[in-house]
Amino acid sequence: MIIDQNKIDETIKIIKANGGHGIQKCVQCGACSAICPGVKAGFPLLCRALIKDLLNGLLEENIENSSSWGCQACNRCTEVCPQGVRPQEVVFAFRRYQANELAFSTSAVTSQMNLYETGHAVFTDPKEARRKVGLPEETPTSAFNEAAQQEIRTLMDNSPMGELGLF
Amino acid sequence: MAKVGVYVCHCGSNIAGVIDVSAVRDFAESLPDVVIARKDLFMCSDSGQEMVKQDVRDGLVDRVVVAACTPRTHEPIFRAAIEKAGLNKYLFEMANIRDQASWVHGNDHEGATEKAKLVVASAVGKARHLQPLHDKFVDVTNAALVIGAGIGGISAALELANMGHKTYLVEKEPSIGGIMAQLDKTFPTNDCSACILTPMMVQAFNHPNIETLAYSEVADVDGYIGNFNVKVRQKQTYIDWKKCTGCGDCADKCPSKTPDLFNGSLSDRRAAYIMFPQAVPKKAVVDIEHCLNCAGRTIGTQPKINEKTGKAILAPCERACRAGAIDRSLPLDPGGTIKEIKVGSIVVTTGYQVMDKGWFKEMAPASPNVITALQLERLISATGPTGGKLLRPSDNEKPHTMTFVSCVGSRDVNFHTHCSRFCCMYMIKQARLLKEKYPDLVINMHFIDVRSAGKGYDEYYTGAREMGINFFKGKVGGLEILPGDQLRVLAYDMEAGQSIEYSSDLVILATAVELPPDATALAQKLGLQFCGNDFFRELHPKLGPVETAVAGLFIAGCCQGPKDIPDTVSQAKGAAAAAAVPLAQGRVKIEATISEIDSQKCSGCGICEPLCPYHAISMRDYTDRARGVIERHAVIEMSSCKGCGVCTSACPSAAIKLHGYEDEQIYAQIAALTA
Repeated sequence: MIIDQNKIDETIKIIKANGGHGIQKCVQCGACSAICPGVKAGFPLLCRALIKDLLNGLLEENIENSSSWGCQACNRCTEVCPQGVRPQEVVFAFRRYQANELAFSTSAVTSQMNLYETGHAVFTDPKEARRKVGLPEETPTSAFNEAAQQEIRTLMDNSPMGELGLF
Repeated sequence: MAKVGVYVCHCGSNIAGVIDVSAVRDFAESLPDVVIARKDLFMCSDSGQEMVKQDVRDGLVDRVVVAACTPRTHEPIFRAAIEKAGLNKYLFEMANIRDQASWVHGNDHEGATEKAKLVVASAVGKARHLQPLHDKFVDVTNAALVIGAGIGGISAALELANMGHKTYLVEKEPSIGGIMAQLDKTFPTNDCSACILTPMMVQAFNHPNIETLAYSEVADVDGYIGNFNVKVRQKQTYIDWKKCTGCGDCADKCPSKTPDLFNGSLSDRRAAYIMFPQAVPKKAVVDIEHCLNCAGRTIGTQPKINEKTGKAILAPCERACRAGAIDRSLPLDPGGTIKEIKVGSIVVTTGYQVMDKGWFKEMAPASPNVITALQLERLISATGPTGGKLLRPSDNEKPHTMTFVSCVGSRDVNFHTHCSRFCCMYMIKQARLLKEKYPDLVINMHFIDVRSAGKGYDEYYTGAREMGINFFKGKVGGLEILPGDQLRVLAYDMEAGQSIEYSSDLVILATAVELPPDATALAQKLGLQFCGNDFFRELHPKLGPVETAVAGLFIAGCCQGPKDIPDTVSQAKGAAAAAAVPLAQGRVKIEATISEIDSQKCSGCGICEPLCPYHAISMRDYTDRARGVIERHAVIEMSSCKGCGVCTSACPSAAIKLHGYEDEQIYAQIAALTA
């Protein structure tokens, strides 16, 4: 590994600009990784390990790494962090960087498309199951509300997401 | 006939959890001369002590045996109790059935109980033969000696002096101030070291109760608590300090150059020199080893005469001195002068040195751009060789990338196993100061781990991370010299699991803190002991941190173990308080359990004299007028005797009695144990 201060400075600038303001407070204690369900599920580059790589300036090198998309946004890392790093914000900042570079994992693209089309990132057709238990087939959510879907599309089209040209 | 009372302690479950205390009590009652045997949950409690006192006051007992824990901690308590009740305190004996029975035989309750009975029987056997003894007192010289005038010594001396005690402050260098005088700023407040130290140096030097003996060493010590006789060798300065004004003209004119140790040898000084600009006292000395004896002016010789002018040809230093303080014709003794002083207590604050980089062959010591952290202090100090500019030694260029290496010789079985304790913090301090001054400077710090225990210290460390200083967990494995005086750093990032290699302009080694080599000779003069090979040993690591095995001798600061400035000052003030105790009391107590020589039996053979570890025995001649002969006898200086008993057991004439451990007492113990 080569220690390149320019790369370190650039990485920290990008992560901070994307919301990971606390990255330099990290002392690598590992509490975030100890509590992270994504780490338990086997994603190798979450929380402590991701932060360490970013502090070493390894931003582009990790652009294709899909670990960040394993973050479930549970925010337990932020609760346990003794230094106020807010690790989830760092992970999300890295995700935003990846998204801006169109480096989505395939799983992430599917959920973005679901969100754009139905207003739900994770969507499965509920009709059959609901009819069996005697509920109305359609949920009172955006999934069956054309006007609501249109509103969500308008929001997404006008967000940085829209600029990526995914939809 | 003695009336012995035996009191058996449960010590909660410490003793009673293993030993059948009732059985021991019943057994004690059956022993000869035992008139009362009682037991209690805690004999050392108020109620337990009161039980003993009441029996004494009632006249029931005149010898007391407590079967409990160790006499080291509890004998004084029970002695005081019976003394208060009106009994001579030496008519007391302790049976240690905790350390010697319940603790060591915890798995054998029956066996432990039987052993406790024997231990009690032995104590009772001795107690039946105990005799009243009386403590003695000797007067104290109301003065203290502080050896070493760094921040620890200065703090201790000021504390003693402010309490009103005459204090001698001895320093081997020409100026007081110690290593703190070499530092640029101090963590975690970034106080300028000189700004906070110099006023204390001046205060100590000008204090009416402090006599500063700079450029001096302790040559010899004898005596004992309250009455130490110390010979201080005042080194030869070759410049009359009574006349020297500290102008520095002699140093300006002196042509001889030698590495300036105060600047970590990063620059030169002259043979005639003032140690540093803020030196106290601000006096010049001639380093005679490096003096060229210009104009043939060897010390103690008359000058040549210029044939034309008829004037004496003097050395440049002599000519430069307008105060007339340099006269090389005088027959000055290279050994200096000996000053004899008397003091009641001594505080040793001789400090430390950092290891030289030469020990570490893997760290490219041959490179001028590998320096110790103390050298970096001089490099960033405004009074240092570069005026405070960070310039690397090889080419006086500003470095772009620099590297800090921790634990060089510390936490390393090949050198020192101890942690030097303040390196992490001073490295972070140096990195912060440099990053503030040069934001573009790339600073990589490599640690086994960062140890930042102290008020405000961890905040100082985490703040450094936010300043953009790079921290890597993992010790640097080696350095390699590259072309252009660059250094290849071979490191590892344990947190990323990656090896690191990069080129660095300047590498700082945090070399280990250790005792300077002259500490051994001082320890021998004073009777100080060592902890392994590392530092002076305190009496007790927790409860006697400033005391030593020698009564009246105290230690503080880094000579006791690595510590930072706040800890050194705290310990020094603690040592001063402890050293003031005998001075404030005006007299010291001599325990009665010491040896005494029966001159009628002493044959004067002299066997005992060299055996005494405390140098308390001397041989003296006496005139026996009745017989008209001169006789030789051994004499024990009671204030030096510690009652160890070595002389008593060695005396072939059985002429030496150790009070409190007399033959019939010990035989009674043996008889009880072997009955």
